[in-house]
Amino acid sequence: MGLTLKVWRQKNTKAQGGFETYQVKDISSEMSFLEMFDVLNERLINEGKEPIAFDHDCREGICGMCSMHINGRAHGPWAGTTTCQLHMRAFKDGDTITVEPWRAEAFPVLKDLTVDRGAFDRIIESGGFISVNTGNAVDANAIPIPKDKADAAFAAAACIGCGACVAACKNSSAMLFVSAKVSQLAQLPQGEPERATRALNMVAQMDKEGFGSCTNTGACEAECPKEISLTNIARLNREFIRAGFTYEK
Amino acid sequence: MLDAKIPAGQLNSKWEDYKGHCKLVNPANKRSLEIIIVGTGLAGASAAASLGELGYKVKAFCFQDSARRAHSIAAQGGINAAKNYQNDGDSVFRLFYDTVKGGDYRSRESNVHRLAEVSANIIDQCVAQGVPFAREYGGLLSNRSFGGTQVQRTFYAAGQTGQQLLLGAYSALERQVALGNVTLYTRHEMLDIVKIDGKARGIIARDLTTGKLERHFGHAVLLCSGGYGNVFYLSTNAMGSNVTAAWKATKKGAYFGNPCFTQTHPTCIPVSGDHQSKLTLMSESLRNDGRIWVPKKQNDTRKPSDIPEDERDYYLERRYPAFGNLVPRDVASRAAKERCGAGYGVGTSKQAVYLDFAANMERYGKIEAGKRGLHNPTPDQIRQLGKEVVVEKYGNLLDMLAKITGEDPYEVPLRIYPAVHYTMGGLWVDYELMTTVPGLYALGEANFSDHGANRLGASALMQGLADGYFVIPYTIGNYLADEIRTKAIPTDHPAFVEAEKQAQETLDRLMNIKGSKSVDHFHKRLGKIMWEKCGMARNEQGLKEAIEEIKALRAEFWKDVRIPGEANEINPELEKAGRVADFLELGELMCLDALNRRESCGGHFREESQTEEGEALRDDANFAYVAAWEYKGDSTYELHKEALVFEECKPTQRSYK
Amino acid sequence: MKWSQFFDTSIGKKILVGATGFFLCSFVLVHLAGNVQLLYNDGGKAFNSYAAFMGHNSLIQFIAWGLKIVILLHAIIALQLTFSNRKARPVKYAINPGNQTSSWFSRQMAVMGSILLIFIIIHLADFWWKFHFGNVPTINYDATGEPVKDLYSTVQYAFKEGWLVALYVIGMIGLSFHLVHGFKSAFQTFGLNHVKYNGLINFIGVWLFGILIPIGFAAIPVVIFFK
Repeated sequence: MGLTLKVWRQKNTKAQGGFETYQVKDISSEMSFLEMFDVLNERLINEGKEPIAFDHDCREGICGMCSMHINGRAHGPWAGTTTCQLHMRAFKDGDTITVEPWRAEAFPVLKDLTVDRGAFDRIIESGGFISVNTGNAVDANAIPIPKDKADAAFAAAACIGCGACVAACKNSSAMLFVSAKVSQLAQLPQGEPERATRALNMVAQMDKEGFGSCTNTGACEAECPKEISLTNIARLNREFIRAGFTYEK
Repeated sequence: MLDAKIPAGQLNSKWEDYKGHCKLVNPANKRSLEIIIVGTGLAGASAAASLGELGYKVKAFCFQDSARRAHSIAAQGGINAAKNYQNDGDSVFRLFYDTVKGGDYRSRESNVHRLAEVSANIIDQCVAQGVPFAREYGGLLSNRSFGGTQVQRTFYAAGQTGQQLLLGAYSALERQVALGNVTLYTRHEMLDIVKIDGKARGIIARDLTTGKLERHFGHAVLLCSGGYGNVFYLSTNAMGSNVTAAWKATKKGAYFGNPCFTQTHPTCIPVSGDHQSKLTLMSESLRNDGRIWVPKKQNDTRKPSDIPEDERDYYLERRYPAFGNLVPRDVASRAAKERCGAGYGVGTSKQAVYLDFAANMERYGKIEAGKRGLHNPTPDQIRQLGKEVVVEKYGNLLDMLAKITGEDPYEVPLRIYPAVHYTMGGLWVDYELMTTVPGLYALGEANFSDHGANRLGASALMQGLADGYFVIPYTIGNYLADEIRTKAIPTDHPAFVEAEKQAQETLDRLMNIKGSKSVDHFHKRLGKIMWEKCGMARNEQGLKEAIEEIKALRAEFWKDVRIPGEANEINPELEKAGRVADFLELGELMCLDALNRRESCGGHFREESQTEEGEALRDDANFAYVAAWEYKGDSTYELHKEALVFEECKPTQRSYK
Repeated sequence: MKWSQFFDTSIGKKILVGATGFFLCSFVLVHLAGNVQLLYNDGGKAFNSYAAFMGHNSLIQFIAWGLKIVILLHAIIALQLTFSNRKARPVKYAINPGNQTSSWFSRQMAVMGSILLIFIIIHLADFWWKFHFGNVPTINYDATGEPVKDLYSTVQYAFKEGWLVALYVIGMIGLSFHLVHGFKSAFQTFGLNHVKYNGLINFIGVWLFGILIPIGFAAIPVVIFFK
């Protein structure tokens, strides 16, 4: 099939960006969206032009590196799918596809479709862990965890940190990302000792990074490639309120 | 002969004895000792976290935008540990034995035994970190079985075990970053090792955002940079996975061990066309519940559902009744290749076999119906209930498959074919995980040590975390105890200046070729040579041809590659070019090693060395050694041997029949 | 975390918005219950007595002043959040997903809230201000009792103006759209998201606060207009 691509090009963070239009031909429906970009880039290189910079690594939907806003949708039109797992079957001959980077104050564009998501790492630094040094652990089966709790913790822990929630939210809120980690650890007995500080510190860091607040529109959940549920945001709110009202420091 | 510094004594007491006698560094001294870690996968992140906790000053580097993205994250199936929670006869010895046997007697016994010993601690540590492993209704951990074993010792988190383990290690790492013990350098790529007075003392790294070269000092350098499967272009590795760190170390004097030992994974999604950029794995755990078959008739074009049961050839069950669909990966891969080669392949390319869930879906459905008290369930009910079980076990994998192929995996059997997945070879290390360069260590897939000629499923995660959490914190102390008087060396030292100059010259050279072909063009051609001549089956003639072809391709690359853009900005083509340049050298060494090893073992199958039934035939008399190659200048390598001594596992012909 | 810090976080502010929102929800219920008396054909006796009671009971007056502060607080904090949310995305997308990923109501909270605020100001100026500080004629239903202000007639008179009726209907559409999302959203902000209760919360939010109450309010001027 043949397609018209409108792609955001921006030399670096400070430069002014804009859309460039490209025509691509002979795209097979078997290709992944990024393989279609490979084809375009190969052509640009052959034409002596600079290829489009975009983040990607595992190409199997788990590393969370790929990040394209495709026709107004974070990771494109398929639900529960990363950009790398989106296949060209999703489009038809003659379509125009507009591709933009994640847009958020906290995710500055580095080049073209590449953005800096360091804010997520700093949020994890602020409390997204259980403080247990190597070698301190008790036997794994000494801590029985009800299956439904373990499953719910896993469902939250499946977050790949891609930032689609921020990209999809009209407020650029990172609540789904933060809540996934808080929720995972809040549901496990191992997470109990740091429950209060974790919620307080991670939310404080989230605010500091310049993300917006949550207005419960649900766009994050709709766009999350791992289908992380809004119930996690509710749990984060509970954890935060509980900590704010009871934590002594 | 190489000395691996294996401690004396009984195999099962070596590690305890070592820990009891190795040198220690006191806490005050640790604060002034700096350690550089390249790569933040399971091995790198766990090492960085553990060493940071001990109080060392750690600098960790990764080329991705976050430490959490390293390719360990993509590991699906699980992690082995000798917990014997299932009461099915598992033990440290059995895990050790299975691993040595699975590796076709080409791994080092002492390392493997240590791995089996610490395996149980890994599970404890991960659970304490909040890794949400799968559990039974009673709240205790669940296990499944993997290839090459007859016990259930694999711990898992749906089909995302690697992700959960890596996020555990990553969060431990980020905790140390917050505490100031670890400094993270993301979007940084190591371009060279700096050696001073024969010891590794730092690295040259390129900031991939600004293109600037940086000098970083360390009293020791740990390479946790993963494997080199991308030398084949198409593999299950991430697009960015590369050999550069290990290869630069090789060029600075670290020996490269068993480079020809690569693993093809039997259950991957087949190639669909020329545009393909990578291959996707379907976890080996699917083989727990799926049956692999091809039609009994050659070139059978019927739909799988139209082929009756008695016209299907469940060839693994037929050839290997004892292990059936759970034979080790190398055996399963070769068997698939054999069937397809003989004309029984399926799908449009005929390079695929079926993996079928129907039988087990029905079995699970009946069990579930029984649990729910349905006495006369309809076939539809059984199917539905069975599907629910399969969805819970493998849902995420099968969803991924559906997206890639556009087929419903619950209705039609999966089509699978082997793909390059893991590299058992890597930097040669001694018992302490130190390479032949003092102060330079290699951990995880980047080293060669534990998997011999074939890795068993769910053992890579185990090894990465064992090295990072439980081995290196002890062994590095033994080295650094003698370095406490070494002050941090200023990075204006001539060795740093020289290393940076060379790295800069290489970059300039690449940028200035201004040829006519893209980096991928060369990478694809290299991959084709490697896959055809140094892939699942190798022979002398092919390997000799491959070496010449690679040399010619390399020369062409350095004359004709085109890298657009500039070096002082984000430039993915320049990054790729540096990596492919290294693959073009490594590929030659792999062929050289494969040519040298005139035996078949594990994933290395020399067509000249097979049994009458077509199984791999080892030559223990001549090749029971690790081939460690020393770089001696352009295309010149000297072979060093480490003899492998088997005290506990006496090598036998591997049989899974 | 001190209280001042707690309520300065994004979630802390949202809790204030949610809590004030709940209070305002309870207010509209009570307000409607009282105002329905405007439709009685009793010459305004019930309504005017009720208005007189509300206007003189000091506890209710205290709550009434509190109500105005709550409205202001709700509006100010919500607008503050809205502005910082705008700032969180300085460069907008060229293409937005529209209703594909979120409901229209949920995205228009600030717009609907602003319409409501304007409506409330006009509404207060029209009746509350007049009632307390303006010239409202009095009426005496009971020979022995005190005369009461005849707010009833003022209202009946005012709603003969078509434009004012239209304004009230628009205001109530704003209220409807605001509460369809706002009611359940406040539950989520308080962390009350449970599969067993979500259906009920959603039902009350849509049918009671999103439809019934706004229709009830809007019906008053419309009925009076056509009477």
